[in-house]
Amino acid sequence: MNIYFQELKMYARSLLYWTFGMLLTLILFMLMFPAISQDAALMNQLISKFPPELTRALGLTTLDLSMVLGFYGYLFLFILLIGSVYAMKSGMSVLSEEIRAKTADFLLSKPISRNAIVTAKIMSVLSLLVLQTVIYIIGAFIVVNLTTNQIFDKTTFLLINLSLLLVQLFFAALGLLLSVIIRKIKSVLPITLGIVFGFYVLQMLNQSLTDSNLAYITPFAYFDISKIVATGAYESTYLIIDTIMILGFTVLTYIIYNKKDMPSI
Amino acid sequence: MNVIEISKLTKFYGKSRGIVDVSFNVEEGEIFGFIGPNGAGKSTTIRTLLSLIYPTSGSAKILGKDCIKEGQEIRQYIGYLPSEVFYYDNMKVIDLLKYSASFYPNANKNRIYELAKIMDLDLNRKIEDLSYGNKKKVGIVQGLLHSPKLIILDEPTGGLDPLMQNRFFELIHEENRKGTTVLFSSHILSEVQKICTRVGIIKEGKMIRVEDIKTLEHTNYKKFKIEMQEAIPDEYFNMTGVSNLEVNEKAATFIFNGDINKIVEKLYERKVINLIVEEPSLEEIFLHYYEKEA
Repeated sequence: MNIYFQELKMYARSLLYWTFGMLLTLILFMLMFPAISQDAALMNQLISKFPPELTRALGLTTLDLSMVLGFYGYLFLFILLIGSVYAMKSGMSVLSEEIRAKTADFLLSKPISRNAIVTAKIMSVLSLLVLQTVIYIIGAFIVVNLTTNQIFDKTTFLLINLSLLLVQLFFAALGLLLSVIIRKIKSVLPITLGIVFGFYVLQMLNQSLTDSNLAYITPFAYFDISKIVATGAYESTYLIIDTIMILGFTVLTYIIYNKKDMPSI
Repeated sequence: MNVIEISKLTKFYGKSRGIVDVSFNVEEGEIFGFIGPNGAGKSTTIRTLLSLIYPTSGSAKILGKDCIKEGQEIRQYIGYLPSEVFYYDNMKVIDLLKYSASFYPNANKNRIYELAKIMDLDLNRKIEDLSYGNKKKVGIVQGLLHSPKLIILDEPTGGLDPLMQNRFFELIHEENRKGTTVLFSSHILSEVQKICTRVGIIKEGKMIRVEDIKTLEHTNYKKFKIEMQEAIPDEYFNMTGVSNLEVNEKAATFIFNGDINKIVEKLYERKVINLIVEEPSLEEIFLHYYEKEA
Protein backbone atom coordinates (compact mmCIF):
# COMPACT_ATOMS: atom_id res chain seq x y z
CA MET A 1 0.00 0.00 0.00
CA ASN A 2 2.92 2.34 0.66
CA ILE A 3 3.89 2.35 -3.03
CA TYR A 4 0.28 2.95 -4.04
CA PHE A 5 -0.06 6.02 -1.84
CA GLN A 6 3.37 7.28 -2.83
CA GLU A 7 2.32 7.13 -6.48
CA LEU A 8 -0.99 8.87 -5.84
CA LYS A 9 0.80 11.64 -3.99
CA MET A 10 3.30 12.09 -6.82
CA TYR A 11 0.76 12.22 -9.61
CA ALA A 12 -2.25 13.88 -7.96
CA ARG A 13 -1.29 17.36 -9.07
CA SER A 14 -0.77 16.41 -12.71
CA LEU A 15 -4.14 14.65 -12.66
CA LEU A 16 -5.84 17.87 -11.62
CA TYR A 17 -4.13 19.86 -14.37
CA TRP A 18 -5.13 17.42 -17.08
CA THR A 19 -8.70 17.11 -15.85
CA PHE A 20 -8.94 20.87 -15.68
CA GLY A 21 -7.65 21.03 -19.26
CA MET A 22 -10.33 18.61 -20.40
CA LEU A 23 -13.07 20.62 -18.68
CA LEU A 24 -11.71 23.85 -20.13
CA THR A 25 -11.85 22.38 -23.64
CA LEU A 26 -15.40 21.31 -22.96
CA ILE A 27 -16.38 24.77 -21.72
CA LEU A 28 -14.90 26.49 -24.79
CA PHE A 29 -16.85 24.19 -27.12
CA MET A 30 -20.07 24.40 -25.16
CA LEU A 31 -19.94 28.20 -25.23
CA MET A 32 -20.24 27.93 -29.01
CA PHE A 33 -23.15 25.50 -28.83
CA PRO A 34 -26.04 28.03 -28.52
CA ALA A 35 -24.82 29.82 -31.66
CA ILE A 36 -24.22 26.61 -33.59
CA SER A 37 -27.52 25.00 -32.62
CA GLN A 38 -29.38 28.11 -33.78
CA ASP A 39 -27.68 28.03 -37.15
CA ALA A 40 -27.59 24.27 -37.32
CA ALA A 41 -29.31 24.18 -40.68
CA LEU A 42 -26.57 26.38 -42.07
CA MET A 43 -23.87 24.26 -40.45
CA ASN A 44 -25.34 21.02 -41.75
CA GLN A 45 -25.57 22.59 -45.21
CA LEU A 46 -21.93 23.64 -45.03
CA ILE A 47 -20.83 20.22 -43.92
CA SER A 48 -22.81 18.58 -46.73
CA LYS A 49 -20.59 20.45 -49.20
CA PHE A 50 -17.44 18.79 -47.83
CA PRO A 51 -16.19 15.76 -49.76
CA PRO A 52 -17.94 12.74 -48.23
CA GLU A 53 -14.61 11.07 -47.34
CA LEU A 54 -13.71 14.10 -45.25
CA THR A 55 -17.00 14.29 -43.40
CA ARG A 56 -16.74 10.59 -42.69
CA ALA A 57 -13.12 10.96 -41.52
CA LEU A 58 -14.15 13.74 -39.17
CA GLY A 59 -17.06 11.68 -37.90
CA LEU A 60 -19.60 14.28 -38.93
CA THR A 61 -21.91 12.14 -41.04
CA THR A 62 -24.24 10.83 -38.42
CA LEU A 63 -24.06 13.40 -35.67
CA ASP A 64 -26.68 16.13 -35.61
CA LEU A 65 -24.90 19.26 -34.44
CA SER A 66 -28.12 20.99 -33.51
CA MET A 67 -28.82 18.42 -30.82
CA VAL A 68 -26.79 18.70 -27.63
CA LEU A 69 -25.71 15.05 -27.65
CA GLY A 70 -24.81 15.29 -31.32
CA PHE A 71 -22.68 18.32 -30.68
CA TYR A 72 -21.27 16.80 -27.50
CA GLY A 73 -20.48 13.62 -29.40
CA TYR A 74 -18.45 15.66 -31.85
CA LEU A 75 -16.51 17.71 -29.32
CA PHE A 76 -16.00 14.61 -27.19
CA LEU A 77 -13.34 13.50 -29.68
CA PHE A 78 -11.06 16.25 -28.40
CA ILE A 79 -11.71 15.30 -24.80
CA LEU A 80 -10.95 11.72 -25.75
CA LEU A 81 -7.65 12.72 -27.33
CA ILE A 82 -6.55 14.70 -24.28
CA GLY A 83 -7.68 11.92 -21.97
CA SER A 84 -5.90 9.29 -24.05
CA VAL A 85 -2.64 11.21 -24.01
CA TYR A 86 -2.93 11.60 -20.24
CA ALA A 87 -3.73 7.92 -19.76
CA MET A 88 -0.91 6.68 -21.94
CA LYS A 89 1.54 9.08 -20.38
CA SER A 90 0.54 7.83 -16.92
CA GLY A 91 0.76 4.18 -17.91
CA MET A 92 4.09 4.66 -19.60
CA SER A 93 5.61 6.71 -16.78
CA VAL A 94 4.53 4.74 -13.79
CA LEU A 95 7.15 1.99 -14.06
CA SER A 96 9.71 3.68 -16.29
CA GLU A 97 9.95 6.83 -14.18
CA GLU A 98 11.80 4.79 -11.55
CA ILE A 99 14.37 3.91 -14.17
CA ARG A 100 14.60 7.44 -15.56
CA ALA A 101 14.96 8.99 -12.10
CA LYS A 102 17.31 6.11 -11.24
CA THR A 103 15.28 5.20 -8.19
CA ALA A 104 14.62 1.65 -9.39
CA ASP A 105 17.59 0.34 -7.39
CA PHE A 106 16.13 1.88 -4.25
CA LEU A 107 12.68 0.41 -4.79
CA LEU A 108 13.70 -3.01 -6.06
CA SER A 109 16.20 -3.63 -3.29
CA LYS A 110 13.31 -3.42 -0.81
CA PRO A 111 11.67 -6.61 0.41
CA ILE A 112 8.85 -6.55 -2.08
CA SER A 113 8.19 -8.66 -5.15
CA ARG A 114 8.16 -7.20 -8.62
CA ASN A 115 4.57 -8.37 -9.04
CA ALA A 116 3.58 -6.37 -5.99
CA ILE A 117 5.30 -3.30 -7.40
CA VAL A 118 3.50 -3.64 -10.74
CA THR A 119 0.19 -4.22 -8.99
CA ALA A 120 0.57 -1.19 -6.74
CA LYS A 121 1.50 0.99 -9.68
CA ILE A 122 -1.31 -0.28 -11.89
CA MET A 123 -3.78 0.29 -9.07
CA SER A 124 -2.55 3.84 -8.66
CA VAL A 125 -2.96 4.61 -12.37
CA LEU A 126 -6.37 2.95 -12.35
CA SER A 127 -7.43 5.01 -9.34
CA LEU A 128 -6.24 8.22 -10.96
CA LEU A 129 -8.10 7.46 -14.19
CA VAL A 130 -11.32 6.54 -12.38
CA LEU A 131 -11.04 9.65 -10.27
CA GLN A 132 -10.50 11.71 -13.39
CA THR A 133 -13.55 10.18 -15.05
CA VAL A 134 -15.70 10.92 -12.02
CA ILE A 135 -14.49 14.52 -11.77
CA TYR A 136 -14.88 15.00 -15.51
CA ILE A 137 -18.38 13.53 -15.71
CA ILE A 138 -19.64 15.65 -12.82
CA GLY A 139 -18.01 18.73 -14.34
CA ALA A 140 -19.33 17.94 -17.82
CA PHE A 141 -22.84 17.44 -16.51
CA ILE A 142 -22.76 20.83 -14.82
CA VAL A 143 -21.22 22.58 -17.85
CA VAL A 144 -23.69 21.09 -20.34
CA ASN A 145 -26.66 21.94 -18.14
CA LEU A 146 -25.45 25.50 -17.74
CA THR A 147 -24.94 26.09 -21.45
CA THR A 148 -28.13 24.63 -22.87
CA ASN A 149 -31.76 24.15 -21.97
CA GLN A 150 -32.15 21.19 -24.31
CA ILE A 151 -33.28 18.01 -22.63
CA PHE A 152 -31.01 15.06 -23.32
CA ASP A 153 -30.84 11.41 -22.40
CA LYS A 154 -28.77 11.07 -19.22
CA THR A 155 -27.92 7.41 -19.77
CA THR A 156 -26.56 8.07 -23.23
CA PHE A 157 -24.60 11.02 -21.88
CA LEU A 158 -23.12 8.77 -19.21
CA LEU A 159 -22.31 6.04 -21.75
CA ILE A 160 -20.48 8.53 -23.98
CA ASN A 161 -18.44 9.77 -21.05
CA LEU A 162 -17.69 6.32 -19.67
CA SER A 163 -16.20 5.36 -23.02
CA LEU A 164 -13.47 7.84 -22.09
CA LEU A 165 -12.35 5.56 -19.27
CA LEU A 166 -12.55 2.47 -21.47
CA VAL A 167 -10.35 4.07 -24.14
CA GLN A 168 -8.02 5.47 -21.47
CA LEU A 169 -7.53 2.01 -19.98
CA PHE A 170 -6.48 0.75 -23.41
CA PHE A 171 -3.85 3.46 -23.72
CA ALA A 172 -2.70 3.16 -20.12
CA ALA A 173 -2.21 -0.59 -20.55
CA LEU A 174 -0.44 -0.11 -23.88
CA GLY A 175 1.82 2.53 -22.30
CA LEU A 176 2.59 0.19 -19.44
CA LEU A 177 3.56 -2.60 -21.82
CA LEU A 178 5.71 -0.36 -24.02
CA SER A 179 7.45 1.02 -20.95
CA VAL A 180 8.72 -2.44 -20.01
CA ILE A 181 9.61 -3.42 -23.57
CA ILE A 182 11.56 -0.31 -24.56
CA ARG A 183 14.90 -0.48 -22.79
CA LYS A 184 15.28 3.14 -21.86
CA ILE A 185 12.68 5.81 -22.46
CA LYS A 186 14.22 9.26 -22.40
CA SER A 187 10.99 11.20 -22.64
CA VAL A 188 7.46 9.87 -22.35
CA LEU A 189 5.32 12.61 -23.85
CA PRO A 190 6.64 12.60 -27.47
CA ILE A 191 6.18 8.83 -27.77
CA THR A 192 2.73 9.12 -26.24
CA LEU A 193 1.62 11.90 -28.58
CA GLY A 194 2.92 9.98 -31.58
CA ILE A 195 1.10 6.80 -30.67
CA VAL A 196 -2.20 8.40 -29.65
CA PHE A 197 -2.36 10.53 -32.79
CA GLY A 198 -1.25 7.56 -34.85
CA PHE A 199 -4.26 5.64 -33.59
CA TYR A 200 -6.44 8.65 -34.29
CA VAL A 201 -5.20 8.81 -37.89
CA LEU A 202 -6.07 5.12 -38.19
CA GLN A 203 -9.53 5.95 -36.93
CA MET A 204 -9.92 8.72 -39.55
CA LEU A 205 -8.86 6.26 -42.24
CA ASN A 206 -11.22 3.68 -40.82
CA GLN A 207 -14.11 6.13 -40.94
CA SER A 208 -13.45 7.37 -44.43
CA LEU A 209 -12.86 3.91 -45.89
CA THR A 210 -16.18 2.32 -45.17
CA ASP A 211 -16.18 -1.35 -44.37
CA SER A 212 -12.54 -1.61 -43.28
CA ASN A 213 -11.03 -3.91 -40.70
CA LEU A 214 -9.03 -1.06 -39.20
CA ALA A 215 -11.75 -0.66 -36.60
CA TYR A 216 -10.39 -3.66 -34.73
CA ILE A 217 -7.00 -2.13 -34.09
CA THR A 218 -7.75 1.42 -33.07
CA PRO A 219 -9.43 2.03 -29.74
CA PHE A 220 -10.98 5.21 -31.08
CA ALA A 221 -13.22 3.01 -33.21
CA TYR A 222 -14.34 0.82 -30.32
CA PHE A 223 -16.85 3.32 -29.02
CA ASP A 224 -18.54 4.99 -31.97
CA ILE A 225 -20.31 7.98 -30.47
CA SER A 226 -22.90 8.25 -33.25
CA LYS A 227 -23.90 4.64 -32.63
CA ILE A 228 -24.04 5.20 -28.88
CA VAL A 229 -26.26 8.22 -29.50
CA ALA A 230 -28.45 6.21 -31.87
CA THR A 231 -28.72 2.98 -29.86
CA GLY A 232 -27.98 4.08 -26.30
CA ALA A 233 -25.58 1.14 -25.91
CA TYR A 234 -22.01 -0.04 -26.62
CA GLU A 235 -21.26 -2.59 -29.32
CA SER A 236 -20.42 -5.76 -27.45
CA THR A 237 -17.84 -7.01 -29.99
CA TYR A 238 -15.70 -3.94 -29.48
CA LEU A 239 -16.25 -3.92 -25.74
CA ILE A 240 -14.87 -7.46 -25.66
CA ILE A 241 -11.92 -6.57 -27.90
CA ASP A 242 -11.10 -3.59 -25.70
CA THR A 243 -11.20 -5.76 -22.57
CA ILE A 244 -9.03 -8.45 -24.12
CA MET A 245 -6.47 -5.90 -25.27
CA ILE A 246 -6.30 -4.26 -21.84
CA LEU A 247 -5.93 -7.58 -20.04
CA GLY A 248 -3.42 -8.86 -22.60
CA PHE A 249 -1.20 -5.80 -22.33
CA THR A 250 -1.36 -5.99 -18.55
CA VAL A 251 -0.48 -9.67 -18.31
CA LEU A 252 2.45 -9.18 -20.71
CA THR A 253 3.63 -6.26 -18.57
CA TYR A 254 3.80 -8.50 -15.48
CA ILE A 255 5.63 -11.24 -17.35
CA ILE A 256 8.20 -8.97 -18.96
CA TYR A 257 8.80 -6.81 -15.89
CA ASN A 258 9.49 -9.92 -13.84
CA LYS A 259 12.25 -11.02 -16.18
CA LYS A 260 13.72 -7.62 -16.84
CA ASP A 261 17.25 -6.70 -15.79
CA MET A 262 17.25 -3.28 -14.21
CA PRO A 263 19.67 -1.04 -16.10
CA SER A 264 22.63 -0.08 -13.96
CA ILE A 265 22.87 3.50 -12.88
CA MET B 1 27.79 -20.25 8.80
CA ASN B 2 27.94 -18.59 5.41
CA VAL B 3 25.77 -15.54 4.98
CA ILE B 4 26.58 -15.28 1.28
CA GLU B 5 27.28 -18.30 -0.90
CA ILE B 6 28.00 -17.56 -4.51
CA SER B 7 28.61 -20.46 -6.83
CA LYS B 8 29.76 -20.20 -10.44
CA LEU B 9 27.75 -17.06 -10.92
CA THR B 10 27.82 -15.88 -14.52
CA LYS B 11 26.17 -12.89 -16.09
CA PHE B 12 26.31 -11.79 -19.69
CA TYR B 13 24.58 -8.67 -20.93
CA GLY B 14 23.75 -9.89 -24.37
CA LYS B 15 27.21 -10.76 -25.62
CA SER B 16 29.16 -8.48 -23.34
CA ARG B 17 30.72 -9.95 -20.26
CA GLY B 18 29.50 -9.06 -16.79
CA ILE B 19 30.98 -11.79 -14.59
CA VAL B 20 32.15 -15.31 -15.33
CA ASP B 21 32.07 -18.22 -12.88
CA VAL B 22 32.37 -16.10 -9.77
CA SER B 23 32.37 -18.19 -6.60
CA PHE B 24 32.99 -17.13 -3.01
CA ASN B 25 31.48 -17.27 0.43
CA VAL B 26 31.10 -14.62 3.08
CA GLU B 27 30.91 -15.89 6.64
CA GLU B 28 28.65 -14.60 9.33
CA GLY B 29 30.05 -11.63 11.20
CA GLU B 30 32.90 -10.81 8.86
CA ILE B 31 33.60 -7.73 6.83
CA PHE B 32 34.39 -8.99 3.39
CA GLY B 33 36.17 -6.68 0.98
CA PHE B 34 35.38 -7.00 -2.66
CA ILE B 35 38.00 -5.24 -4.72
CA GLY B 36 38.69 -4.67 -8.35
CA PRO B 37 38.87 -1.79 -10.78
CA ASN B 38 35.82 -0.20 -12.35
CA GLY B 39 34.11 -2.53 -14.78
CA ALA B 40 35.55 -5.66 -13.18
CA GLY B 41 32.10 -6.95 -12.21
CA LYS B 42 31.67 -5.87 -8.60
CA SER B 43 28.38 -4.12 -9.18
CA THR B 44 27.13 -6.91 -11.43
CA THR B 45 27.74 -9.41 -8.63
CA ILE B 46 26.04 -7.20 -6.07
CA ARG B 47 23.08 -6.42 -8.30
CA THR B 48 22.57 -10.14 -8.81
CA LEU B 49 22.54 -10.69 -5.05
CA LEU B 50 19.71 -8.16 -4.84
CA SER B 51 17.98 -9.68 -7.89
CA LEU B 52 18.05 -6.34 -9.65
CA ILE B 53 19.43 -8.39 -12.51
CA TYR B 54 19.18 -12.12 -13.17
CA PRO B 55 22.21 -14.37 -13.62
CA THR B 56 22.87 -16.16 -16.90
CA SER B 57 23.95 -19.22 -14.92
CA GLY B 58 25.16 -20.21 -11.49
CA SER B 59 23.54 -19.46 -8.19
CA ALA B 60 23.74 -17.15 -5.23
CA LYS B 61 22.39 -17.74 -1.78
CA ILE B 62 21.98 -15.37 1.12
CA LEU B 63 21.27 -16.76 4.58
CA GLY B 64 20.82 -20.12 2.88
CA LYS B 65 18.09 -18.87 0.59
CA ASP B 66 18.18 -18.50 -3.17
CA CYS B 67 18.60 -14.87 -4.18
CA ILE B 68 16.23 -15.07 -7.10
CA LYS B 69 13.50 -17.41 -5.88
CA GLU B 70 13.36 -16.10 -2.35
CA GLY B 71 14.61 -12.63 -3.10
CA GLN B 72 11.72 -10.82 -1.51
CA GLU B 73 12.23 -12.53 1.85
CA ILE B 74 15.99 -12.14 1.75
CA ARG B 75 15.88 -8.44 1.03
CA GLN B 76 14.28 -7.83 4.44
CA TYR B 77 17.64 -8.64 5.98
CA ILE B 78 19.79 -6.68 3.58
CA GLY B 79 20.83 -3.07 3.83
CA TYR B 80 22.09 -1.83 0.49
CA LEU B 81 24.03 1.30 -0.26
CA PRO B 82 24.66 1.72 -3.99
CA SER B 83 27.63 3.60 -5.38
CA GLU B 84 25.44 6.28 -6.93
CA VAL B 85 22.45 7.35 -4.90
CA PHE B 86 19.25 8.64 -6.45
CA TYR B 87 16.00 9.32 -4.65
CA TYR B 88 12.68 10.96 -5.42
CA ASP B 89 13.66 14.58 -5.94
CA ASN B 90 10.55 16.26 -4.66
CA MET B 91 10.45 14.36 -1.38
CA LYS B 92 11.80 15.60 1.89
CA VAL B 93 14.59 13.55 3.44
CA ILE B 94 12.44 12.46 6.36
CA ASP B 95 9.59 11.39 4.05
CA LEU B 96 11.98 9.38 1.92
CA LEU B 97 13.39 7.66 4.99
CA LYS B 98 9.92 6.91 6.35
CA TYR B 99 8.93 5.57 2.95
CA SER B 100 12.01 3.37 3.01
CA ALA B 101 11.21 2.21 6.54
CA SER B 102 7.64 1.36 5.54
CA PHE B 103 8.93 -1.59 3.51
CA TYR B 104 10.38 -3.31 6.57
CA PRO B 105 7.95 -4.82 9.06
CA ASN B 106 10.32 -4.42 12.00
CA ALA B 107 11.91 -1.07 11.19
CA ASN B 108 12.38 1.18 14.18
CA LYS B 109 11.57 4.79 13.27
CA ASN B 110 13.72 6.19 16.10
CA ARG B 111 16.72 4.67 14.40
CA ILE B 112 16.24 7.21 11.57
CA TYR B 113 16.81 10.10 13.98
CA GLU B 114 19.76 8.38 15.67
CA LEU B 115 21.49 7.68 12.38
CA ALA B 116 20.75 11.14 10.99
CA LYS B 117 22.32 12.66 14.08
CA ILE B 118 25.45 10.55 13.76
CA MET B 119 25.79 11.38 10.06
CA ASP B 120 24.87 15.05 10.62
CA LEU B 121 22.00 14.91 8.14
CA ASP B 122 19.28 17.56 7.95
CA LEU B 123 15.99 15.67 7.72
CA ASN B 124 13.83 18.56 6.62
CA ARG B 125 15.49 19.39 3.34
CA LYS B 126 14.28 18.35 -0.04
CA ILE B 127 16.21 15.60 -1.79
CA GLU B 128 16.77 17.76 -4.88
CA ASP B 129 18.50 20.45 -2.79
CA LEU B 130 21.05 18.04 -1.35
CA SER B 131 24.68 17.89 -2.37
CA TYR B 132 26.11 14.60 -3.54
CA GLY B 133 27.68 13.95 -0.15
CA ASN B 134 24.42 14.63 1.65
CA LYS B 135 22.54 12.31 -0.68
CA LYS B 136 25.10 9.70 0.20
CA LYS B 137 24.26 10.23 3.85
CA VAL B 138 20.60 9.65 3.08
CA GLY B 139 21.73 6.45 1.42
CA ILE B 140 23.63 5.37 4.50
CA VAL B 141 20.70 6.03 6.84
CA GLN B 142 18.29 4.31 4.46
CA GLY B 143 20.58 1.30 4.26
CA LEU B 144 20.92 0.90 8.02
CA LEU B 145 17.57 2.01 9.45
CA HIS B 146 16.09 -1.49 9.56
CA SER B 147 19.09 -3.03 11.36
CA PRO B 148 19.95 -5.45 8.56
CA LYS B 149 21.76 -8.76 9.08
CA LEU B 150 23.80 -8.18 5.94
CA ILE B 151 25.04 -4.82 4.77
CA ILE B 152 26.04 -4.53 1.13
CA LEU B 153 28.12 -1.47 0.32
CA ASP B 154 28.99 -0.71 -3.27
CA GLU B 155 31.79 1.87 -3.30
CA PRO B 156 30.15 3.69 -0.42
CA THR B 157 32.54 6.47 0.47
CA GLY B 158 32.51 8.59 -2.70
CA GLY B 159 31.37 12.12 -1.94
CA LEU B 160 31.90 11.83 1.81
CA ASP B 161 34.51 14.05 3.37
CA PRO B 162 37.20 12.34 5.51
CA LEU B 163 35.41 13.15 8.77
CA MET B 164 32.17 11.60 7.52
CA GLN B 165 34.06 8.66 6.09
CA ASN B 166 35.42 7.97 9.56
CA ARG B 167 32.00 8.24 11.16
CA PHE B 168 30.68 5.95 8.49
CA PHE B 169 33.39 3.38 9.15
CA GLU B 170 32.66 3.61 12.86
CA LEU B 171 29.00 2.99 12.15
CA ILE B 172 29.84 -0.05 10.06
CA HIS B 173 32.18 -1.35 12.77
CA GLU B 174 29.47 -0.79 15.33
CA GLU B 175 26.96 -2.78 13.30
CA ASN B 176 29.59 -5.44 12.71
CA ARG B 177 30.22 -5.79 16.44
CA LYS B 178 26.52 -6.47 16.86
CA GLY B 179 26.97 -9.40 14.51
CA THR B 180 26.12 -7.87 11.16
CA THR B 181 27.94 -9.24 8.14
CA VAL B 182 29.28 -6.73 5.65
CA LEU B 183 30.10 -7.02 1.97
CA PHE B 184 32.20 -4.02 1.11
CA SER B 185 33.00 -3.35 -2.51
CA SER B 186 35.61 -0.81 -3.43
CA HIS B 187 38.40 0.09 -5.78
CA ILE B 188 40.11 2.13 -3.09
CA LEU B 189 42.32 -0.37 -1.34
CA SER B 190 43.30 1.66 1.66
CA GLU B 191 39.70 1.74 2.86
CA VAL B 192 39.34 -1.99 2.37
CA GLN B 193 42.57 -2.42 4.29
CA LYS B 194 41.16 -0.29 7.09
CA ILE B 195 37.99 -2.23 7.64
CA CYS B 196 37.96 -5.71 6.10
CA THR B 197 38.92 -9.10 7.45
CA ARG B 198 39.06 -10.90 4.11
CA VAL B 199 39.17 -9.71 0.55
CA GLY B 200 38.10 -11.12 -2.76
CA ILE B 201 39.82 -9.75 -5.81
CA ILE B 202 37.89 -9.58 -9.03
CA LYS B 203 39.27 -8.73 -12.43
CA GLU B 204 37.63 -8.67 -15.83
CA GLY B 205 34.65 -10.55 -14.50
CA LYS B 206 36.63 -13.33 -12.84
CA MET B 207 37.38 -13.87 -9.19
CA ILE B 208 41.15 -14.06 -9.00
CA ARG B 209 41.60 -14.87 -5.35
CA VAL B 210 40.05 -14.71 -1.93
CA GLU B 211 42.47 -14.11 0.88
CA ASP B 212 42.70 -13.21 4.50
CA ILE B 213 43.69 -9.58 4.63
CA LYS B 214 46.57 -10.41 6.99
CA THR B 215 47.97 -12.97 4.57
CA LEU B 216 47.92 -10.36 1.90
CA GLU B 217 49.55 -7.73 4.01
CA HIS B 218 52.18 -9.55 6.03
CA THR B 219 53.36 -12.98 5.13
CA ASN B 220 54.33 -13.45 1.55
CA TYR B 221 55.03 -10.12 0.03
CA LYS B 222 58.04 -7.87 0.60
CA LYS B 223 58.92 -4.78 -1.22
CA PHE B 224 62.63 -4.38 -1.95
CA LYS B 225 64.41 -1.15 -2.73
CA ILE B 226 68.04 -1.78 -3.57
CA GLU B 227 70.91 0.46 -4.52
CA MET B 228 74.21 -1.02 -5.70
CA GLN B 229 77.64 0.30 -6.39
CA GLU B 230 77.55 -0.69 -10.01
CA ALA B 231 74.80 -0.69 -12.59
CA ILE B 232 72.41 -3.59 -12.22
CA PRO B 233 71.83 -5.72 -15.34
CA ASP B 234 68.20 -5.60 -16.40
CA GLU B 235 67.68 -9.31 -16.01
CA TYR B 236 69.60 -9.58 -12.73
CA PHE B 237 66.49 -9.92 -10.57
CA ASN B 238 64.51 -11.82 -13.15
CA MET B 239 63.54 -14.78 -11.00
CA THR B 240 60.39 -16.49 -9.87
CA GLY B 241 58.53 -14.59 -7.20
CA VAL B 242 59.69 -11.20 -8.38
CA SER B 243 57.19 -8.78 -9.79
CA ASN B 244 56.79 -5.09 -10.51
CA LEU B 245 60.50 -5.05 -11.24
CA GLU B 246 61.95 -1.68 -12.07
CA VAL B 247 65.63 -1.34 -12.76
CA ASN B 248 67.15 2.09 -13.09
CA GLU B 249 70.94 1.80 -13.52
CA LYS B 250 72.22 1.22 -9.99
CA ALA B 251 68.79 1.11 -8.32
CA ALA B 252 66.10 -1.52 -8.41
CA THR B 253 62.69 -1.94 -6.82
CA PHE B 254 60.45 -4.98 -6.91
CA ILE B 255 57.97 -6.96 -4.91
CA PHE B 256 59.04 -10.43 -3.92
CA ASN B 257 56.86 -13.31 -2.95
CA GLY B 258 58.73 -16.40 -1.69
CA ASP B 259 61.82 -17.42 0.25
CA ILE B 260 63.70 -14.28 1.27
CA ASN B 261 67.01 -16.20 1.35
CA LYS B 262 67.00 -16.38 -2.41
CA ILE B 263 67.15 -12.62 -2.59
CA VAL B 264 69.76 -12.47 0.13
CA GLU B 265 71.96 -14.89 -1.85
CA LYS B 266 71.50 -12.80 -4.90
CA LEU B 267 72.47 -9.64 -3.05
CA TYR B 268 75.59 -11.28 -1.70
CA GLU B 269 77.08 -11.50 -5.16
CA ARG B 270 77.33 -7.73 -5.53
CA LYS B 271 78.18 -4.71 -3.48
CA VAL B 272 75.05 -3.25 -1.95
CA ILE B 273 75.00 0.39 -0.95
CA ASN B 274 71.50 0.68 0.33
CA LEU B 275 68.75 -1.84 1.06
CA ILE B 276 65.20 -1.21 2.17
CA VAL B 277 62.78 -4.07 2.75
CA GLU B 278 59.20 -3.07 3.56
CA GLU B 279 55.60 -4.27 3.65
CA PRO B 280 54.04 -3.51 0.33
CA SER B 281 50.76 -1.65 0.27
CA LEU B 282 47.70 -3.55 -0.81
CA GLU B 283 47.73 -1.47 -3.98
CA GLU B 284 51.05 -2.88 -4.95
CA ILE B 285 50.06 -6.44 -4.18
CA PHE B 286 46.93 -5.84 -6.12
CA LEU B 287 48.86 -4.54 -9.09
CA HIS B 288 51.04 -7.59 -8.83
CA TYR B 289 48.01 -9.90 -9.07
CA TYR B 290 46.84 -8.06 -12.06
CA GLU B 291 50.05 -8.32 -13.94
CA LYS B 292 50.53 -11.94 -13.10
CA GLU B 293 47.04 -13.03 -14.08
CA ALA B 294 46.80 -10.83 -17.13
